[in-house]
Amino acid sequence: MKEKKRESFRHFMNRESTAGFVFSLPFSIGFLMFMVVPMGLSLYYSFCDYNILAPPVFVGMKNYIKMFTDDPVFLKTIGVTFYFAFVSVPMRLVFALIVALILFKTTKATAFYRAAYYLPSIIGGSVAVAILWKRIFATDGVVNQLLRIIGIKTSFPWLGNVNTAIWTLIILAVWQFGSSMLIFLSSLKQIPVTLYEAARVDGANRFSQFFKITLPLLTPTIFFNLVMQTINGFLAFTQCFIITQGKPLNSTLFYTVYMYKQSFEFYNTGYGAALAWIMLGIIGLITLILFATKKFWVYTEGV
Amino acid sequence: MKKKIALLMSCCMAAASLAGCGGSSATATTAATQAPATTQAATTAPSKEASGGSGDVKLTMSWWGNQVRNERTQAALDLYSEQNKGVTIEGQFSEWSDYWNKLATSAAGQSIPDLVQMDYMYIDQYVKNSLLVDLKPYIEKGALDVSSISENTMASGTVDGGIYAICAGINSPAMMYNKTLLDKNGITVKDYMTIDDFEAVSRQVYEKTGYKTSIVYGTAQTYLDYFMRAYDVVLFGDKKMGGKAEDYIPFFQMYETGLKEGWLIDPGVYAEISIGSVEQDPLVNGSSPETMSWCAFANSNQLTAVQNAAPEGVTIGMTTWPSPDPKKSGYLKSSQFFSVGAHTKNPDEAVKVLNYLVNSSDANNILLGERGVPASSKIAQELSPKMDAINQEIIRYINEVVTPNSSPINPPQPDGASEVFNLLNQVQEQLCYGTFDAKAAAEEFFNGANKIMSQK
Repeated sequence: MKEKKRESFRHFMNRESTAGFVFSLPFSIGFLMFMVVPMGLSLYYSFCDYNILAPPVFVGMKNYIKMFTDDPVFLKTIGVTFYFAFVSVPMRLVFALIVALILFKTTKATAFYRAAYYLPSIIGGSVAVAILWKRIFATDGVVNQLLRIIGIKTSFPWLGNVNTAIWTLIILAVWQFGSSMLIFLSSLKQIPVTLYEAARVDGANRFSQFFKITLPLLTPTIFFNLVMQTINGFLAFTQCFIITQGKPLNSTLFYTVYMYKQSFEFYNTGYGAALAWIMLGIIGLITLILFATKKFWVYTEGV
Repeated sequence: MKKKIALLMSCCMAAASLAGCGGSSATATTAATQAPATTQAATTAPSKEASGGSGDVKLTMSWWGNQVRNERTQAALDLYSEQNKGVTIEGQFSEWSDYWNKLATSAAGQSIPDLVQMDYMYIDQYVKNSLLVDLKPYIEKGALDVSSISENTMASGTVDGGIYAICAGINSPAMMYNKTLLDKNGITVKDYMTIDDFEAVSRQVYEKTGYKTSIVYGTAQTYLDYFMRAYDVVLFGDKKMGGKAEDYIPFFQMYETGLKEGWLIDPGVYAEISIGSVEQDPLVNGSSPETMSWCAFANSNQLTAVQNAAPEGVTIGMTTWPSPDPKKSGYLKSSQFFSVGAHTKNPDEAVKVLNYLVNSSDANNILLGERGVPASSKIAQELSPKMDAINQEIIRYINEVVTPNSSPINPPQPDGASEVFNLLNQVQEQLCYGTFDAKAAAEEFFNGANKIMSQK
């Protein structure tokens, strides 16, 4: 009996699937502990009155109802976040594509330029750059100094004006075009040279080569970048949190920062959790819509 | 061979994960059993013998503040470790706004630091959720000596009959002003200015120098509280706001007047600075008179920091905040408190450290009243000859200007206060950007705040 048990244990340990489970254990444990459990908790809290300090009290849909019926700031932040995402992401993609096209032709210096243009993507999301940005757009900052040099005497408060403050954040986002640029570069390289040669033989100029060959063959990459960057755009936090804190008049208050403020500044953690789940829904919906449009403009045939 | 390795790995993994689970469930249960135990200790006299003295005791203390405070407090704590072998105290410091996020999160995780720097605004909330230890039994036992602290000062750390917080320093609201600038232009500022006096000075300064006036922006709550005291209105009632909407008009009127007459600083200036930072206040920071202010609303213990941040050759003066009736508005307060966190494993040792910070000459020779005039009159007296001119001025201000004309501070702010204050600052912002006039702002604020409070 004992012998048999040992035998079956050995058999169990020797199975391929056991090894598979064991080797995936570090990830599984991490995934369960740091993703599934916190998400489950957050879903539960979103149905509670919870102020961090006292235990949560179940209140059903109250938080969700309050959001749509009794919270003008919620609607305002949705507006701001959509504006930010839908302006900054297309601008960033266009910019990334233009720079990728410029850097496509290999010369001795391209490697350096590629690295240099990629740099903002690495450091752009950092606190240090956010603080630098704040200084650049200050009344006595670099922007106003430059304007003074070209003859416009101004001490315009870029960050303090309702119309311009959001643009400082958009420009910062556009500046971080590096990772999209690299993806564009690599897919530009995959376009066969033969296509261009054939087009040249047929007498197509540079312009129509770009619109008839390059752009259609890039659409899968554009689509990928668009989806990823839109999701990132909705999740932007640091820039707003450090540079503007939502000021002035909530004109730059990102959804994520509002969520943070509700959760940790006003101690309405239950409400903050509900906000997070609505955000998940919104991002999911937008991704779905983007995928639905795919068949109209993304080229999927083999090259 | 491959299989053997896999087997070996799996054993290790299984053992590790089992140990992991076992460990976490064990700590979870101890934490669960410990929570009621500590609250019990908080209500009844502690029977547990001190675990300090022998063996290694590790404590943590958290506070908010500035660089000077961080260095001095850590030095004082290190001295304690030197005098009490086996005890190490780890200091955790952060900025004011981050501090409360961190503290709340650690409280939720049942791991609030052993020693906590508390603020009057939050005491109520923390005590009601039994996160602080009642110090009364320790005072009765003699472990904590409060004999040289005045009754009034002790009262501010008392909630529902229990003593949960000991004053770390006394201060009072104080307006800092650019004395050099005003002297040069022959403008005088006197203590106990009314709003009319204040507006007159602001107008004069603007006409003569171009310097503008900064009235608390983004952190208006304390000033509103101070202002309303002149009308005998306490900001918070039971689940509602004090007074009527009309009562709040004069406060907002001041901003409207300043805006119309041009002497109020442009609100865009505040978008570029961290609000609450002494070093970035328009009083000391800015490139032209247009973006600078002749005055700043602060607290008396900040005079050192403001003077340090001021440009060379500028002397900073200190006077009372303007109010419709400054003598009625004035109060002394604890700039901050020391409390013992309810999750501590060594309440006795923590209380001992607290006693050391409040009563020891050694500790206070290092701290040097950075948190305000020491609560212990004995220590305050001992310290005063060692203090520099600025600190002497702070003590003079507290003793001669504020104390004769002050009344007890309003009760601690209830749950929901931080949301009300956020609303106040947004209304104020809209007022400064011209969306509201004073009357509309008062109504918007009063009705919104009432709604927030009624839901609490």
